[in-house]
Amino acid sequence: MFPLLVLLPLVIAVAAIAAAGGRPQIRHAVRYIAILASATSLILLYFVSQGVTTIPWFTVGGYQFSITTLVTPLNMLLLFIVFFMATVILVYSSGFMDVPNEQRRFYVEMLAFETAMAAFAMSGNFVLLFVSWGFLSAFSYLLIGFWYERARANRAARQTITMILIGDLALIASIVIFWNATGSLEFTTIAASLSQHASAQAYLGALLLLVAIFTKSAQFPFQEWLSGAMEGPTPVSAFLHSSTMVKAGVFLVIILLPIFTATSLTGIILAVGIITAVVATLNAMRDLHIKKVLAYSTIQELALMMVAAAGGAVTAAVYFFLIQSFYKALLFFGAGVVMKSTDEEYFDKAAGLRSSRLAYLTTLFGILALAGFIPFSGFFSSVGIGGAFSANIPMYIVISMIGLGTSFFAFRWFLLASRDVKDRRVRYRYSTQPASMVYAMVLLAVLTLASSAAYFYIQGFIGKGFMSQLYMSKNSSLPAISLGDISGLAIVAALAVAGAVAGYLVYASKRFSARLASINTRKVDIIAHSSVAMEALYSHSARFVYELAEGAALFDLYVSDISDYIGHGTMRLGSMIRRVSVGQINPYALIFAGGIAVLLILVYVMILL
Amino acid sequence: MILQSAIPSALFNLPHVFAYLVAILVAGNLMIRMKHNNRVQFLFNGAAMLALLALLMYFMASGTTATIAGLFSINPFSLYFMAIFTAGLLLVSLIALPYSRDFGDFALMASMSLAGMYMVVAANSLITLFIGLELVSIPSVFIVLLSRRSLEAAAKLFITASISIALFSFAVVMFYGATDSFTISHQAQQGPFIALAAAFFIASLGVEASAFPFNVLVPDVYEGSPAYAVAMLGGINKKLGFAALLQVLILIFIGLHSAFVIMVFLSVLTMFYGNIVALMQKNFKRMLAYSSIGQAGYMFIGMATGSAGGISATLFQIFAHMFIFIGLLAIVAWLESRNRNEVDDMIGLHQESRFMAFALTVFLLSLVGLPFTTGFVGKFLLFVSAINANLAWLALLGIINSVISIYYYARPIMAAYTGRAGAAWVKSNTAVLGVIAVCLALTILFGVYPQPLISMVNGVGAYLFAHQ
Repeated sequence: MFPLLVLLPLVIAVAAIAAAGGRPQIRHAVRYIAILASATSLILLYFVSQGVTTIPWFTVGGYQFSITTLVTPLNMLLLFIVFFMATVILVYSSGFMDVPNEQRRFYVEMLAFETAMAAFAMSGNFVLLFVSWGFLSAFSYLLIGFWYERARANRAARQTITMILIGDLALIASIVIFWNATGSLEFTTIAASLSQHASAQAYLGALLLLVAIFTKSAQFPFQEWLSGAMEGPTPVSAFLHSSTMVKAGVFLVIILLPIFTATSLTGIILAVGIITAVVATLNAMRDLHIKKVLAYSTIQELALMMVAAAGGAVTAAVYFFLIQSFYKALLFFGAGVVMKSTDEEYFDKAAGLRSSRLAYLTTLFGILALAGFIPFSGFFSSVGIGGAFSANIPMYIVISMIGLGTSFFAFRWFLLASRDVKDRRVRYRYSTQPASMVYAMVLLAVLTLASSAAYFYIQGFIGKGFMSQLYMSKNSSLPAISLGDISGLAIVAALAVAGAVAGYLVYASKRFSARLASINTRKVDIIAHSSVAMEALYSHSARFVYELAEGAALFDLYVSDISDYIGHGTMRLGSMIRRVSVGQINPYALIFAGGIAVLLILVYVMILL
Repeated sequence: MILQSAIPSALFNLPHVFAYLVAILVAGNLMIRMKHNNRVQFLFNGAAMLALLALLMYFMASGTTATIAGLFSINPFSLYFMAIFTAGLLLVSLIALPYSRDFGDFALMASMSLAGMYMVVAANSLITLFIGLELVSIPSVFIVLLSRRSLEAAAKLFITASISIALFSFAVVMFYGATDSFTISHQAQQGPFIALAAAFFIASLGVEASAFPFNVLVPDVYEGSPAYAVAMLGGINKKLGFAALLQVLILIFIGLHSAFVIMVFLSVLTMFYGNIVALMQKNFKRMLAYSSIGQAGYMFIGMATGSAGGISATLFQIFAHMFIFIGLLAIVAWLESRNRNEVDDMIGLHQESRFMAFALTVFLLSLVGLPFTTGFVGKFLLFVSAINANLAWLALLGIINSVISIYYYARPIMAAYTGRAGAAWVKSNTAVLGVIAVCLALTILFGVYPQPLISMVNGVGAYLFAHQ
């Protein structure tokens, strides 16, 4: 089947929901339409044929611009993640989003976001990539700023769009450069051309492409927008962090690995990835916002995926890519339960997860997977990534330490979230969660366990399909799990347990609970200041642009001071002419005359030269 | 081109019938105006314009080229502009029908300026061009004057037009002094007077095309004029400035390097001025004025390349911007009739009319350059032409400007989709909805499938370069 047809149910659903009226029964039906559309796309995915499909779009100066889709097992995997996670998250949303007036807007934006991500997941040239990338940016802006009445949400959305736009700018510049350097916009042609000969121009193009990827995937120094993006509704966070948007950058690194290998930029990806992972781990260990901890954890995971891919362990990266979706969405679901029940976002008040038995248990599954406990999927991905760097001792140590830190902050998060609450009403709300939310969590909890099995199949899946030599060019097999080589497994398992114990010792003690109550949520130590420092850097850059605009607006005010009179309706031609004659129109005349003078000078200079 | 004398026996061929139709349009409007019957006037106007449009389409399809009375030439370039101006003016008339105080006056003035537009784009000589420009700008002032509140805007427009005309006559004088000719044809001669003439032409037509710094009055005029007048000024008259500038630049001064250097400067300044100042605007029409200045900057990119590809891209962008702008002003006209002029007044639009909110979103995103709209294709062609002409840095500046522009284009969209069903719902006019639907259809249709339009503008661009 033609790949783009997979998007059809989503497009139809978006149009149907957008066109539907605002009557109550329709409001109710909207959620089912959205779930149905996502599920249909998921089923249709089975019929998609692998390969490259080209649809001509338009011709300019003899060059044919076309929309190319590329479907390899890797694309199939991402498409599966997008559609599957979207379906689950929409089921969860049907219980979570209890704001009747905003239902339509929410589902339209979510489905459109999903469509853009799916289009991205099958892009085979820079035309479709740019188109879907642009739509992703636009809809992420709308979704993060969903609660438009909140000043913080607006601010977060603005910060996000600014970061993302920097990325868009870098992307389009890199597209221009690639086109100049290789005369093509197709991934396969560019990769083939660069592996023959990588010019300095192509190097610049690949570097700009990396900037785009780092902004989208929230890597250093662009990482801070993702923690700000927590202002969006929780299902949006879950969607953003598990399957869409931030995964786009990592996916691009994996599928365009030949370009980065040819231009020898993998070193930069490795370095940025490690820096990001360390900074994000430290941030996650300190932050007190229930969703921001998870956001930093996502940043760290994305960084590790980049590191793995750039280090040649593509299969390990892809495996991590898959399983992270399940447990990260699950943890956000858990955070959503806490926030919905307590109406709080900071750990000093947001707690009491234990009051909801099923939510507590499923969230624990997610935590165990995040921390890397046997036999949860996180353990296998840690083994995979660690194993890839087992020959490189410093790298192995850093990655192991990150693993230890992950286990620590995972349990810190869990213990803080599940502290008891006294308030009976809060407890009542915990015990009356909508069934759709709980079922979605149970499903994902099962998957955090079941996806462990994928470790043994993933290599066969992505390594043997269409064009797999594109990204499997290096020796990138997963380390085999065997009892003979037990040291690697033992280290991972021991670190997970050690982190959990450390977390328990620090955060489960009575003394700590007392101290936490007195903590000012704004008070952060030096490590967490990196986040503050990033913000300051951003705001200074933004301020520069803003002041430029303000200066220009002053100019506008100056030249148009007489326009204040417009709208009073008392203007007469006579007074107008009088004003002209007494000189109020002078600024304009001056500018006109100045412009003409400059033009003439320009002409004369050019004649003289 | 050599002036050809008209042969009496050729008076009844189709190109002459076209000329008669234009005359009938103006004369008919004048006569019906005496009777004060707006409905008849609108029907007559619509029928005449549709007939003109059909005839123009026929000429385009059959590849007709002809000379009328030795002064006007029907060629791919003039046909392209005549067709889009006619279609545009028809749409603007539909907006003016419910919202102008006196549609009869509007129709009469509009038909006169349509004749003037035809003269400009079909001109063989600078004198015809001059007369045509006059014939457009004076009725435009009266169209702005139709609303009681727009005296000041009209006065400013008048001053602008006078400056433009004065500069144009300087340019013609210098050109004539240097070459002893008024003909619009390639000038191999170089010299200070030719260069000066080019500078004055660019300044004069830059006023019409709202190039920086000759555009300082434009926002005032837009803010103070009724929406249908703004639709005409920004949607059609401004494009006429571009058409005239294209003729002068490509047909006369293509060999003059300095003229194109000036265009590069103008393009950069105009883009940045329009987009940066627009960031701070609160009045929606004023924001649109600055936005259209920014868009003019992009169009100058294509002209600055001095290549057939760049000119084609400019022509495409002119088409794109024209219908987006008219569509937006149709929405503004509806809002304005209820005294909602600020960007913040858009709040709740999606609850009053989902169609309008959707159209507003598409139009504004198309101006940003969202894929699958004409705005995207136009910008894409412009930037590609700049890269092909070794002006990649200019393309990059254009892209940076597009990014800046997102910040102000997003604001009305956000407002439109913000809740609060505050204002009482007023049924929107069918004619206005039709205008919006047509503009929306054109924007999306040629965004998704741009090939026919690209082929057409490529043909026009190639024609201009073959007939210098």
